[in-house]
Amino acid sequence: MKSTAATPSILRDLRSLKVVVIHPQDQDGDELLAQLQRIGCDVEVFWPRLDCLPANTGLVLMAVRPETLSMNFPWLGSSTSPPVIPVVTYENPITIEAVLQLNAFSTIPSPVRSFGLLTAIAVALTQFKASRMRDRYIDRLEQKQAKVRVIQQAKQIVMDTRGVSEEQAYQMLRAQAMLKREQIETVAGEIVKARETLSF
Amino acid sequence: MTSKDAGSTSGSIKIGVLYSRSGVTSAAETAQLQATILAVEEINRAGGVLDREIELVCLDPQCQPRNYADLAEQLILKHRVRLIVGCYMSSTRKAVIPIVERHNALLFYATPYEGFEYSRNVIYTGAAPNQNTLPLAGFMLTHYGSRVSMIGSDYICPYESNRVMSDLILERGGEKLDETYLPLDARWESYLDVAKRIRQLSPDFIFSTVVGEGIPHLYRAFAHVGLDPYRMPIASHMTSEAEIAIMGNDVAEGHITSAAYFQTVDTAANRLAVARYQARFGDDQTTNMCWEAAYFQMHLLVDAIRRVGSDDPTLLLRVLPGLEYQAPQGRVRIDEYNNHTYLHPLIGRVNTQGRFDVIGRAPERVKADPYVVSHTTPRWTSEARPDLERTGGDR
Repeated sequence: MKSTAATPSILRDLRSLKVVVIHPQDQDGDELLAQLQRIGCDVEVFWPRLDCLPANTGLVLMAVRPETLSMNFPWLGSSTSPPVIPVVTYENPITIEAVLQLNAFSTIPSPVRSFGLLTAIAVALTQFKASRMRDRYIDRLEQKQAKVRVIQQAKQIVMDTRGVSEEQAYQMLRAQAMLKREQIETVAGEIVKARETLSF
Repeated sequence: MTSKDAGSTSGSIKIGVLYSRSGVTSAAETAQLQATILAVEEINRAGGVLDREIELVCLDPQCQPRNYADLAEQLILKHRVRLIVGCYMSSTRKAVIPIVERHNALLFYATPYEGFEYSRNVIYTGAAPNQNTLPLAGFMLTHYGSRVSMIGSDYICPYESNRVMSDLILERGGEKLDETYLPLDARWESYLDVAKRIRQLSPDFIFSTVVGEGIPHLYRAFAHVGLDPYRMPIASHMTSEAEIAIMGNDVAEGHITSAAYFQTVDTAANRLAVARYQARFGDDQTTNMCWEAAYFQMHLLVDAIRRVGSDDPTLLLRVLPGLEYQAPQGRVRIDEYNNHTYLHPLIGRVNTQGRFDVIGRAPERVKADPYVVSHTTPRWTSEARPDLERTGGDR
């Protein structure tokens, strides 16, 4: 150990984390609830159905067992749904498949023990956050990539039709965009579209 | 179940004891062992429990984590014991937990530790960080300043204590000047190097999480390089009367410790317990925070046995949560939900007699919160108006 670093914000914010538990009230359910309360999270338990997530839910712990396989949670899998940690009682392929469907970053095995829950929560929250950021970054890259492609096509059209250099073509697009008070990719898009319209 | 299988349904009630009599933390563990013996003798003299005597089965793990695990298993399998008191460093407790969980035995753990644990099969009677590190941090950062040097033994509990302290220093815009970890068996020379560096850095105070034999080395090194505890104290939540007895009163004087118990605590229960202890083990014997927890946990355990009429761990776990006892430090209570104990945090400073003068105290007992990550210091520590002037003559 060299030097203690500052405590990660995910751990610092645990006491304000809203946790939804979808689990029957049995020994696992009791242990889960008790340990979440020891950790100090704000917990609400639902069973068997939960059609609408409470506002500001930051994490869902969900029993995945034979009787849950047919259940439908409409809020699952949307772009705004929080991370889910499955609580797993069976290890057969059917159940594992159901776990995989949840895109989980960590799992809690049954019988539930107090030890391991905090680490599972920290891993799930951290990986979920990282994954969201990666998704957003990829979105931005894809959009940027699409713009670059359209501008490239438009430049080619201008070069071909006006017989100018690539740099001159780009300057012409830019001038048009400024004149029309539009983004350069908008102007480029119109040019590409017009060309497609004409090429019958 | 036959009476043989049950271990102790007739005859004496056996309780296993895992405290080390040699090794790096044996000074504190020997005090815990003697506190356990004292409590059991008190109970037996008063007629035992359920008309049976308590019989201790004491094994010596010599401060080796593996021995604690092996001997815990031996207590359970060979001696047919399912109630165990003992362990000191976190590594020793972690080694025993799987054993007590597998055999549904109970471990009573009487040492302050770093928190972030709950086992159904463990009752924690020492302080959690919110009961010792936090009051100490609040007190020191308020009354001494926030330029801090940290020195600790190289294991988990010091890392976690320093994490808490570091966060609090940063929140106050303070500065961590130095963070050093020394091996548990580090020699005097290493502590001397640390003391010299501290003298150069000149922090507002030193936060020590050194345990065991290193403690006397650290304080002696500090005195050796001529540092003044009244200006720049070492603040610790592990340094107790046990280590002061080894290092000497003159070396310890002026330094600060936070704990739920000091020998000087002024309660009737404490005066009686200390008097009986010294009558039994010698006038020169000191008591300390770990001693007191070991002492009162035995009384709590026996009270639980009395209440359920059995020494079966499953039955005991129905009454232990919520159970209270008039301990030497004041009234303590096992929390209903986390198996830790409500305690009475104190800040003490060593006086010329090597005893702690209380210079800060929580207004009421404090619930243990073993899973709190983000700490705020208790208000009483900054509102305290301690007299921090030097008492006694200049040195």
